[in-house]
Amino acid sequence: MKKHLVSLLLAAATAVAAFAAEPAKKFTIGMSQCNLGEPWRVQMNADVRKAAAAHPELNVVFKDAQNDTLKQRSQIEEFINSGVDLLIVSPKEAAPLTPPIAAAYREGIPVIVLDRKVLGNDFTQFIGADNRKIGRSAGEWMVRRLMALPAVKARGRARVVELKGLMTSTPGQDRHSGFRDALKGQPVDVIFDTDMKWLEPEARKEMESALAVHQDIDLVYAHNDPGAHGAYLAAKAAGKEKDILFVGIDALQQEGQVYVRQGLFAASFEYPTGGAEAIDSALKLLHGETVPKEITLKSRVFTRDNVAAGGEWLP
Amino acid sequence: MKFSLSHLLGIPWARALLALVLVAIIGCAANADGAFFQWSTHRDMLRQVSVYGILACGMTLVIITGGIDLAVGSVLGLCAVLFARLSLHQGLPALVAVAAVLAAGAAAGLTSGSLVARWRIQPFVATLAMMVFARGLAKWLSGGQKISQAVQQPDGNFTYVDLPAIFGFLDKRILGGQVAVVTLVFLGCVLVSWLVLSKLRYGRYLFATGGNEEAARLSGVPTARAKLLAYGLSGLFAAIAGICQAAQEQQGDPEAGVAYELTAIAIAVIGGNSLMGGRGGIGLTLLGALTIGYLEKILSINAVAESNRLMLTGAIIIAAVLLQRRKTA
Repeated sequence: MKKHLVSLLLAAATAVAAFAAEPAKKFTIGMSQCNLGEPWRVQMNADVRKAAAAHPELNVVFKDAQNDTLKQRSQIEEFINSGVDLLIVSPKEAAPLTPPIAAAYREGIPVIVLDRKVLGNDFTQFIGADNRKIGRSAGEWMVRRLMALPAVKARGRARVVELKGLMTSTPGQDRHSGFRDALKGQPVDVIFDTDMKWLEPEARKEMESALAVHQDIDLVYAHNDPGAHGAYLAAKAAGKEKDILFVGIDALQQEGQVYVRQGLFAASFEYPTGGAEAIDSALKLLHGETVPKEITLKSRVFTRDNVAAGGEWLP
Repeated sequence: MKFSLSHLLGIPWARALLALVLVAIIGCAANADGAFFQWSTHRDMLRQVSVYGILACGMTLVIITGGIDLAVGSVLGLCAVLFARLSLHQGLPALVAVAAVLAAGAAAGLTSGSLVARWRIQPFVATLAMMVFARGLAKWLSGGQKISQAVQQPDGNFTYVDLPAIFGFLDKRILGGQVAVVTLVFLGCVLVSWLVLSKLRYGRYLFATGGNEEAARLSGVPTARAKLLAYGLSGLFAAIAGICQAAQEQQGDPEAGVAYELTAIAIAVIGGNSLMGGRGGIGLTLLGALTIGYLEKILSINAVAESNRLMLTGAIIIAAVLLQRRKTA
């Protein structure tokens, strides 16, 4: 039994050593990601990794908190204890992650906060896009597009389905309220709106229900591209995909942009990850330069007409 | 009259049917401007519940042995990724890809089964470990990204591959567009489970193992092999569900199937299968699948908010299970 135990421990140690990060380079950056279960966040890490690969002096150590606030808190503390030169944090939540980020900042470790803000001012830089603004731009674009449709011109009003992310999450709330801001005073009716929990199979299910309850849907606005794709598949199964426009958010190169390119979506609105910008700022900070307290990322819209040319910047 | 009703309620499938009828009555009341009365609503419900139902078939076999298989959702995700990689990215013929994925799912199930049967690890713990491991393997195989028609090249750019015919076939509706192929796959899985439970000697071994394992073993029932069979089939069904999921999403998502094991357990339990083992049947699971399917569909066509949905689902599951309680016990 003892022999077994020893060999098991040896095997475990070998496995851990094999999976562990390579030895440190000149600068070590700790990257704390809140949830690698989301493709958009996988993309954020990929953007950071790609940008850092161009600078051999940088070694980025990635940690994934698996959507657990307390786990992310302890991972940030681990980074502080291991003495990283700079921290990049994409926090799951503002309030509970403010103290560990502030602790790192006060110890003199520069902290770049990505995508979601923390409370107060104890961080070096915030980089993020504005979901509400993207929702509003998307809404304004959709109103223009809808008003040009012959069916809408004939009817006088447009009929839209909104498939929301999670209304308990800030991106869901902002993508919803920005969109509704743009619809104010416009002849557009949201005839069916419901949560699809950011998930493609759920969106397909909800869209099937929308199709069962409503005839003549002009457009589906989903809070992310998997949601819009699920809705497209439901409409396709009902033979109605040609009569409906589909609009999503995120516009990942391997997801939303593909659907636009294939002609399934009318448009996808980019929600930039900021990964490359974070490495830019990190380099400046590590070489003693200063950076602005906040960078608001600009976003692009990808449509059938401009996707090949790399999209169009939103105002 | 009172006698005949209580007599009827002594029959498990009659109680399961009662739960289904109650949910259907809710549907008739909250019919969303008549949407509940259209066949297309029922057809779509049957498509949606199929993947859960396929998982519940395997879950039923395991539950009858007195075990539980928490790994089915993760094995579904793993198999969806594997299927998408083999057929979509590597362009293997559909049959080869399907066979390889079924073998992988069965292997995962047999691994759980041997941990339970030979190494005597509790089913909850063994399949919990498999659940975590299979999810990790799915993420590793996919690099954390969905395996879709966009294929990343070493230079970082993307090329696009066509969707193999098998994806379109599995996501089609046949018989005049009235039944989804995945629904027929689900019914096929129900049939296979019924054959195993009712027609094979091993079916009786499953019941005997779950009823009283020690007594069964002493009277010559190969309880270890019976458990291996149950977990192996559960893995196989999870692989079938994974293939159906990938076909319907047109991609292999490493996050597919998260928490699906809980829905599969809910289906088995709401149908009236005993979590203590030894009692139950696949017909009950079919009724349970319809009950859960209609419940979700009714909440969805009425666009009920997510918070209310969760509360209502919890309440209705408890009501249905209470309703099923054997009055005579």
